[in-house]
Amino acid sequence: MSTIIIREIIKGDIAVSTSDGDLVYNLITDYFKNHKTVSIDFEGISIMTTAFLNAAIGQLYSNPSYSDDFLNKHLHLKNVAKEDRILFSEVVKRAKEYFRDKDRFEDSTNSIINGD
Amino acid sequence: MTIYFENDIKSDWEGYQKLINLVNDANQIKDPEIIFDFSGVKFFEANLCAVLGTIIEILEKNQKKITFINFNPVVEKILRKNEFLCNYGFEKAIDYYNTVVKYRKFIPTDDEGFNSYIKNELLNKKDFPSHSEKLGKKIMQNIFELYENARTHGKCNYIHTCGQYFPRSEEKQFNITIVDRGVNIKENVNSFLNMTMSGSETISWAMQKGNTTKSGTIPGGLGLDIIFEFIKLNNGKIQIISSDGFWEYKRGIIETKNLENPFQGTIANLRFNLNDKSYYSLSDEHSDNWDFTF
Repeated sequence: MSTIIIREIIKGDIAVSTSDGDLVYNLITDYFKNHKTVSIDFEGISIMTTAFLNAAIGQLYSNPSYSDDFLNKHLHLKNVAKEDRILFSEVVKRAKEYFRDKDRFEDSTNSIINGD
Repeated sequence: MTIYFENDIKSDWEGYQKLINLVNDANQIKDPEIIFDFSGVKFFEANLCAVLGTIIEILEKNQKKITFINFNPVVEKILRKNEFLCNYGFEKAIDYYNTVVKYRKFIPTDDEGFNSYIKNELLNKKDFPSHSEKLGKKIMQNIFELYENARTHGKCNYIHTCGQYFPRSEEKQFNITIVDRGVNIKENVNSFLNMTMSGSETISWAMQKGNTTKSGTIPGGLGLDIIFEFIKLNNGKIQIISSDGFWEYKRGIIETKNLENPFQGTIANLRFNLNDKSYYSLSDEHSDNWDFTF
């Protein structure tokens, strides 16, 4: 299993920006492309936002190959502060709704434009 | 040419209206040199420096040069303590009681600068928060959510921020204001929904959980909700002003109003109560063995 140490990737203990979340997302998907299982280590992270997690984790749901089953098998979270755990449930729930709504929105836009 | 400030300026609908009207008032003056005369102001809520700084940014872009005169000594002292007036030739004053959160402006890509600012201005305050490390962490998380929201949606040149702490008030109130000049909520939401809602209606839409104007691969629609839910628990206050809309949540009541003149950006003002002894118990916090399932 490969490990991503968040503190090293974002060079600090504040995981708040979309751009830092994007860095983590790109690393995760690189490992997935190479058929590797990934552990993300949040040790030493003092502040975390949904903006960071939307980019790092929520964005994974933009790729239909990354199903819940796939992610449960290939992505593990370590050392998440107790008070930050709720953010993961919120972000994953929101990501599922967002991509479901987005698909519906794009389907209806396409049917208006294409007349189908 | 002089513009007189005749009354106190607070973080309320009248206060924001007065500051936003300055853009129109100043633009009607041909003289590029404009003096802000503060002789009528006995109280200026210091976090509003973020708004005043943004108004001046707009005026300077319109080739105006702003100077200040006739400050009440107490008002001048606080605006020198938070270093707002240092941009206009005034000396810095020492903040002996550690009650100001300095006025700063950041370019949207300078997230490192904003991180250091929040760390220095909040974590290093001996009273922040007065009761619990956990409350302090939640407040910082809210501020970063708000800042990221401004960075993502505003597409602005600068984000202005300023705060003020009132340690002697019973609730030990802490105010922080973040302002971006750029695409406002009304433009973003109406363009996304292809509608023509008023400013306050679009803010109400944006404050509902799950509503977002984002359309890329990164989901949105959570940040403002996280803030809103926390402010409710903390018995604090949120005000959002964008274009001609004013939206406020305070003690269980949402109030919306329209402004005379639109603001070319978004103002977000948060009030936290640091004297909050509630324990924010969240369901996922209880277990020691947490095994997250997607």
